[in-house]
Amino acid sequence: MSQTYKRGTIEDFGRWREFTAGMWAWIFHKFTGWVLVGYLFTHIAVLSTAMQGASLYNSTLGGLEALLVVRFLEVGLLAVAVFHILNGIRLLMVDLGYGLGVQDRTFYVSLIVTGAITVASVPTFVGGAL
Amino acid sequence: MAEHYTSFERGGRRWLAQRLTAVFLIGVLAFHFVLLHFVNHAAEIELAGTTARMSQVSYFATMWLFLVAATFHGVNGVYNALVNMGLSGTRARVVGGVLAVAGLGLIAQGTRVALAMTNLV
Repeated sequence: MSQTYKRGTIEDFGRWREFTAGMWAWIFHKFTGWVLVGYLFTHIAVLSTAMQGASLYNSTLGGLEALLVVRFLEVGLLAVAVFHILNGIRLLMVDLGYGLGVQDRTFYVSLIVTGAITVASVPTFVGGAL
Repeated sequence: MAEHYTSFERGGRRWLAQRLTAVFLIGVLAFHFVLLHFVNHAAEIELAGTTARMSQVSYFATMWLFLVAATFHGVNGVYNALVNMGLSGTRARVVGGVLAVAGLGLIAQGTRVALAMTNLV
């Protein structure tokens, strides 16, 4: 059964120093979720060029990939997606009752693994554009 | 620390659907990233290759389900984030309606794009 908690307004970032690991996990999950859903709409818009034929589709994707800033945005997208996936697994585990006593540590592990995967992926994403 | 921070009504169908789509998306989003950024580099993708992949029934079905699951998960997540920020009453119903229309529109357009990318039909 759901319970409600008096936790103040989390959006009041003026008190960010008081935020616990759980609060940061909540904020990062929301932020990465907003980014991903925004990207989903953008992604379908770009892929819609396929409806106008191969020439436009190939030139649009090729043109975007030729921009270094797009390559770095893709690295950012990867970081956002990896964190959302890892923290999502953590949330599912918590929902199932696993790891309730180590929620802080699993959040930190999510951050570290996200950072490691992101850094390791930079050469693949940026390759050819530099 | 609070037990959970969520505006979802526990036991509700949308709560369950949000988690079921999450389980599906964890695998498919990772697969999508690996296939289209590491196996096939995004800079080398052309419509011919896309069509070859989308003309496999299993791949087409997976990508279409990916579209539907991601749209539901994203739009439902945005709605609940807004409710969590205090949205309620008539405004919540209006915003929910707008998000539902946007989500259905995205699925419709995504389906059209998927059909344009395949030789299956």
